[in-house]
Amino acid sequence: MAEIANCQFPEDLYYHGVNNVWARDNGDGTFTVGLTDIAQSLAGSIIHCKLTKQGKEIKKNKSLATVESGKWVGPVKSPFDGLVEEINAAVEATPTLVNKSPYKQGWVVRIRPANAAADLAEMKKGPDAIPVLKAYMEEKGMKECTHCEGFEA
Amino acid sequence: MSSIYADAKYQDVSQETKQSLFDQVKGDMRWHTTLYGCYECGICVASCPSARFYDFSPRVYAQIMAREDVSTFYELLNDSIWDCSQCFSCTRCPRQNNPGGIITIMREVAVKNGLESAKTALKAYSRIIYKVMSTGTQVSPDMLQPDFFPDWGPDVAAVSHNLNTWRRAIPPETLHTTSLAWDVSEQTQVELYLIWKMTGNLEIIENLDEGLFMILSEVMEEVLDDNGYQLDDVEVIDGV
Repeated sequence: MAEIANCQFPEDLYYHGVNNVWARDNGDGTFTVGLTDIAQSLAGSIIHCKLTKQGKEIKKNKSLATVESGKWVGPVKSPFDGLVEEINAAVEATPTLVNKSPYKQGWVVRIRPANAAADLAEMKKGPDAIPVLKAYMEEKGMKECTHCEGFEA
Repeated sequence: MSSIYADAKYQDVSQETKQSLFDQVKGDMRWHTTLYGCYECGICVASCPSARFYDFSPRVYAQIMAREDVSTFYELLNDSIWDCSQCFSCTRCPRQNNPGGIITIMREVAVKNGLESAKTALKAYSRIIYKVMSTGTQVSPDMLQPDFFPDWGPDVAAVSHNLNTWRRAIPPETLHTTSLAWDVSEQTQVELYLIWKMTGNLEIIENLDEGLFMILSEVMEEVLDDNGYQLDDVEVIDGV
């Protein structure tokens, strides 16, 4: 697990520096996608998480979910073109899972990308991702991550 | 003409751009009700709550607009207009000037033109814009979270903890909701969405906040689709 200013980043994940999401290769042609520790910190305690529909064909950079916190509302933008094979109903029922466990219980959707290689080329994995994530935090003037609901490593 | 401010931030912006925005303000249908001439008595400043806390003066607006000082107008348009609380205490002007009304029009011009200052000022209101445009209700009970409304005091935390119970204690059933201020019918939503699209309001949001536009469009598309409308096919009415 890499760490920048209290922000945690598992090293086996791909990170999209602009959309602020991670992707995990499930090895079966699908990828699990969720919000980064940076994204959950910026949002603050999440009150609603409305997910896209299972079976939907999603376009890259379009919304996989609408996340609403006390101070912010916005989309979770997809890093892939592809088919949404599974959604995590648990985060709709308990949205703070995204805060507490962004990389495990708080995952958002599982996607089967149409062209994973092309989309992964826009993402960085493990140590390569650190400079990108650091630059994003600096751009947002973010000093550190906050784990308002605790943190499950 | 240069601005009255020694530290003017927008000297590099072309005069044509400034003039165009100035003309949009003066071209507004309400403009003729806002300014009748100012003799600098300062009553508007004395009554203005924002003037007490910020480097802000409603009198400057009356003066600058009357002088047609386009450069200073542009400085105000990109900064100080967002310091006004829109309380209209300034309308106690003995000449019936309405600096708050001038600022209303200026804010609308800033929003319609997607100025950076408008984007920054409205960022904190994204959730309220989302709520108004997607449901027609404004602040919903579940928005009263301690981190969003610290100025509501320590009771907010206790109330937000048992929100559902509190709401169910209110007699009208339409208020037994925490994610809306009151229940909204689907017919009302359909009408609202058509109004946002046809009046060009949705386009304005697209200019201001791409993420907000994305999620609003999705909500609207789903409801409109179920009711026989395609959002993309609904046309914006010219001149609204």
